[in-house]
Amino acid sequence: MSGAPTAEVYRIDWLPGTDVLHGVCHCGAERTAEDPVELWEWMLGHPNGHRPGGNRPGTEHDPADHRPADHRPADRRPVGHRKETAS
Amino acid sequence: MCVTTLARMTAFARNQWYVAAYGREIGRELLGRTILDEPIAFYRAESDDTVIALADRCVHRRYPLTAGRLDGDTVVCGYHGFTYDTGGACVFVPGQKRVPRTARVRSYPVVEQDSLVWVWIGDPALADPGAVPRAPWLADPGWTTVGGMEPIDSDYGLLVDNLLDLSHETYLHSGYIGTPEVAETPITTEVDEGAGVVRVSRHMDDAECPPFYARSTGIEGRITRWQDIEYHAPCLYLLHSRIAPVGVVPEPDGSDPDAFHVEITYAITPSTDRHVYDFWAVSRDFAQDDEEVSAFLHDLNRTVVLQDVGALNLLQQALDTEREGYQELSINIDTGGLAARRILARLAAEGERAAAVVASP
Repeated sequence: MSGAPTAEVYRIDWLPGTDVLHGVCHCGAERTAEDPVELWEWMLGHPNGHRPGGNRPGTEHDPADHRPADHRPADRRPVGHRKETAS
Repeated sequence: MCVTTLARMTAFARNQWYVAAYGREIGRELLGRTILDEPIAFYRAESDDTVIALADRCVHRRYPLTAGRLDGDTVVCGYHGFTYDTGGACVFVPGQKRVPRTARVRSYPVVEQDSLVWVWIGDPALADPGAVPRAPWLADPGWTTVGGMEPIDSDYGLLVDNLLDLSHETYLHSGYIGTPEVAETPITTEVDEGAGVVRVSRHMDDAECPPFYARSTGIEGRITRWQDIEYHAPCLYLLHSRIAPVGVVPEPDGSDPDAFHVEITYAITPSTDRHVYDFWAVSRDFAQDDEEVSAFLHDLNRTVVLQDVGALNLLQQALDTEREGYQELSINIDTGGLAARRILARLAAEGERAAAVVASP
């Protein structure tokens, strides 16, 4: 069952002419990788390692941003993420 | 590239709507379908033509109700005559006046929309008819649709994987819908986590025209071919296909009078852990009254679907011989399929949690 569009959109572009994938989280954080499994893990780990306003492509996870209490993919709700986006 | 270990089966997502049948399949004969391991009997009520869905097992000795008969709005079990109304309540038992209070079979919420019959698998109290995803062209007189259903003897996750990565068209469906450009063209993948939708886009600016489109549209020469997938997990898959001569793009106002549009709809309905219903439909906004085009698109798409059926049956047989904890490798073309798998896992977990809440005192 799908619902109405939400603000919690993750995007991965396969950059033409390369093997590189470019991921953009709904919070603005970005990252590039050549492995879709790794890129989804990073992306869906939001907000762990994400910097609202945009990470530099290819930057590593930042331990300072590691918030295990918030990192529960199964419990994510769009409402909580709107708050992240607005911050 | 990453090697990952696979589970033996894609978990079922309960508390979801699933396509059970085309509306045209259900009438005054009982139709049996097993959905998420639940055998269900479907029929139309005589009084108001609505679709009724009841558990396909008589409460008495578990005899399949689909082996019985309809009597007006009721179903009569073919073994001992237990008779059920449209809500599943038993209204007659043989040889006695008192019908036991517990004599009832489960009834399922149903929505008939866009020519499809959807059934809710899960807690009926949570069923929201407004949440059934739409495929309006299936019942729109401005479009002409052909379709069918083919069962596959595989985990439904294999079909999701197949449809989310269309690069396989180049190899499995070459000469029908596949051309070299499909596998060569990079994709864009979006996941709307809150809505439970995965979108995969592949826009080919200058591509060979495969027979499926050359013969149906009459285009000669190379084409601009856009494939925009919307997967409304867990069941509905939409492929918005745009075909036009090379260089022809939509107008600035968004209209697109010089292109051909084909809406390819799939409903992926898990039956058992090794059986899935593959509903497919092809809708077009051109040559609507041309029966030759309809027959051609029907036959060719069914051939393509049967190629998938053969491949997935074979793949499942191969996977079933693998040792526990077997591994696979994912590359860029799998970006959409990986996203779909994760959403399915989340929906399955949410369904499990809801069931646990209902079961707890």
